[in-house]
Amino acid sequence: MADGVPSGSVDRRSEPPADPGTPRIGARAPASPAASTARRSALRAAAIYAAIPLVAGGMTLATVGLSGSGIASYFPLAGVDVFYSFLRMLAAYAASLGFALAYGYYAATHRTGERVMIPVLDILQSVPILGFFPIAIVFFVDLTPGSWIGANLASVFLIFTSMAWNMVFGVYESLKTLPSDMKEAAETFHVRGILLFRRVLYPATINRLVYNSVLSWTGGWFFLVEAEIFTTNGSNALAGIGSYLSFAASAQNGDKFLAGILVLVIVIALLDFAVWRPLGHYAERFRFDQSPSGEAESVAAPDPRSRFRRATSYVTQGVRAGVTRITTPLVQFAAITIRPARKPSPTRRTILYYLALGVILVAVWLMVIAIAVAVFHVYTQPIVGSVRRQILQLPLAMGASTLRVVAAYAVCLGISLPLAYWIARRPRAGRVGLPIVEVIASFPATALFPVIIFELIPVLTPEGAAILMLMTGMIWYLFFNLLSGMRALPPDLEEASRSFGLKGRRFFWRVVLPGIFPALITGSITAFGGGWNTLIVAEYLNSGTGHSLSLLGIGQAIDIGYVEPNGIPLMVAALFTLIATVIAINELIWKPLYRRAVELYRYD
Amino acid sequence: MALIRVDHVEKGFATRHGSITIMQDISFDVRDSDFVAIVGPSGCGKSTLLRLIQGLDRPSAGEIYFKDQPVRGTCGQMAMVFQSFALFPWLTVSQNVAFGLEALGWEPERIHAQVERFVSVTGLDGFQEAYPRELSGGMRQRVGLARALAVEPAVLLMDEPLSALDPLTAESLREEILQLWQDPNLPPDAVVLVSHNIEEAIQLADRVLVLSRRPAHLLADVAVDLPRPRDRKSQAFYDLTDKVYSLITEGAPAPSATTPVPPNGTPGTTTG
Repeated sequence: MADGVPSGSVDRRSEPPADPGTPRIGARAPASPAASTARRSALRAAAIYAAIPLVAGGMTLATVGLSGSGIASYFPLAGVDVFYSFLRMLAAYAASLGFALAYGYYAATHRTGERVMIPVLDILQSVPILGFFPIAIVFFVDLTPGSWIGANLASVFLIFTSMAWNMVFGVYESLKTLPSDMKEAAETFHVRGILLFRRVLYPATINRLVYNSVLSWTGGWFFLVEAEIFTTNGSNALAGIGSYLSFAASAQNGDKFLAGILVLVIVIALLDFAVWRPLGHYAERFRFDQSPSGEAESVAAPDPRSRFRRATSYVTQGVRAGVTRITTPLVQFAAITIRPARKPSPTRRTILYYLALGVILVAVWLMVIAIAVAVFHVYTQPIVGSVRRQILQLPLAMGASTLRVVAAYAVCLGISLPLAYWIARRPRAGRVGLPIVEVIASFPATALFPVIIFELIPVLTPEGAAILMLMTGMIWYLFFNLLSGMRALPPDLEEASRSFGLKGRRFFWRVVLPGIFPALITGSITAFGGGWNTLIVAEYLNSGTGHSLSLLGIGQAIDIGYVEPNGIPLMVAALFTLIATVIAINELIWKPLYRRAVELYRYD
Repeated sequence: MALIRVDHVEKGFATRHGSITIMQDISFDVRDSDFVAIVGPSGCGKSTLLRLIQGLDRPSAGEIYFKDQPVRGTCGQMAMVFQSFALFPWLTVSQNVAFGLEALGWEPERIHAQVERFVSVTGLDGFQEAYPRELSGGMRQRVGLARALAVEPAVLLMDEPLSALDPLTAESLREEILQLWQDPNLPPDAVVLVSHNIEEAIQLADRVLVLSRRPAHLLADVAVDLPRPRDRKSQAFYDLTDKVYSLITEGAPAPSATTPVPPNGTPGTTTG
């Protein structure tokens, strides 16, 4: 530290300091508005993370005083349960983040690894996540007999599998699409190892990671609530908002149910406002997809309202874009097979290589153990007569489930196609309607399943209720993909069509539909994925009181296998049947369709 | 002593359709205090050649020497300025300029001082905390320049640095680059500039290396003896521009690396 240097009073136009060892503390040019805004956003996000438990606690205390008012009296109970659910989400998210960074980094920087890791992830992402849940419960409960840890670990693992894959692809794609001149710049200046990671690779992934995190949490809530509802079938009901809602509905306690929904909505909205929006704004800094020689961009306006609006549109864009990005693995897979061979890139062994390798080895090891335990169970248990009967019925069950999913898909298509077309053609309606739709889409529809099951079955018939529930898990994937496809249609296509006299219905069938074909396929793929995942709660629910639901299907088979004693072989067999069918459908129908769509119908 | 010696370098790629030779038998020297420009038709491999010199890529045949040592991996005494600036959008101007210094393991105070020095030298004062997206193209390239100079390289390699800028900005940056090179107290010692702009090459460089179409070889090593500051409107300037231009467009194989081929062929030989 040198002395005699006045801080804060340096003429910026003076000569460079004669003494190179002099730090000029405090002598900085005024921070650019963008930098300080981003810093403030990040700080605010951190503060709110801490404030959530405080707010929840405060709410609890506040409503304790409001005795007598029906709904409010349930707030404390609901609040506690939501808090437990939130903790599970947080744990799963943290694990996904670490896993995504390790796996994505490794796959993007090591060519031999990439050939194996990306297709593996592709398959993993096709597998209906929720199918694994019963096995996960059995596995973890066996590991920790007699305590509540097992079921909780299983649910965290479940959410992890719903988040991790698309986050890995986010990291992987960010690193792959890093502009080559930036990589060359790093090489020119000998930036390697940890420094390279800190200054180049990790920042490059932040933008996509934030987008994918928003999406992951949306999907995560859906699956978590679904999983918690599922656990009410057995004896290990998890303490969480899902089971809370399920018990409230089965006891026909409207106030209690409503309180639960309200608290859930408040928490999700709070997270949205306090975490995702500021984070989205912060992540803007890390985009590198802008033209290099463009004009200087105007700095974020200091006006809080416009900043809010910008952050709003960013995050809702993120949700929307994130849903369409679920398609990434299949896109990736198709692209890998179509793209011409590239030059091999040099591989380098760094500390991060070994770290990533370690994480992956641990994950693989754990999965192998889980499978081994499942197989062990199957072979060491006698197959009881009733169970054997049901195993033999599996193909029929699979067929029934498939029909249900297809039916739900057809209805979704019938709704989303016109809706998307209508919104795409009326930007004004879109500006109002779309945010509403996005807010609705970010709420886990599974929270409403108990109501659908216990109240609406008499109205809809069990099959109708099942299809309705399936639809809630499918429609947003389809809708947002179709919407983005329609919006991506070049406007000159419409002008050309009009000049040739093509209007109305003919325009729709001959121009719009072929134009959105790739989006239609990706939307359908992801919608079906959502459908498979909803099966185990859409086909069977038996919480003990009130109506129960049990329809012949693969979801029902998995559930019964879980609930009945000696039912594990059934559960495992049903799961494998489901996986095999889904993968077969993906490989034989969706992927060829998608490749065709990409080759024929893209116009960029 | 030649700072850089390019010795019979050849570069080819293997593709799905077989192998392509991009350049062959390229040989030239870059001496201390040289300002060398490399020009040639689009796609002839000028940028590839620059990357071979830097060490980002290896030649298929031949060798490149820096101070008589073969270049293996990126050479630390050469720094590159990129056509698309290659700045990191999440780093401030100061952090971008300091990019190469961190890798050298300097202490923070030393880095800070060096960054301040070159931020000043390239006219970026006051923008230390700005992000690249807030800067115009010319300013961004100044950051690229400051970053390259901050590591005090012996040779500055420039890959079409001004192609992405509008003509007025490019012109002022040209002047600045010349001043930097001419200042004995500042790096670099030598500059190798790749450009598709012949006038720019002649305005800045002492020697203009002309590459042919693919597979590229050295058509000519044209000396530019005009005194600086150079008058673009002088006859001598026009003549040189003309000469280089016809070399590029006619691009016939040269018998030796330093004599240009007359456009219509010499009597007694046939040109293709």
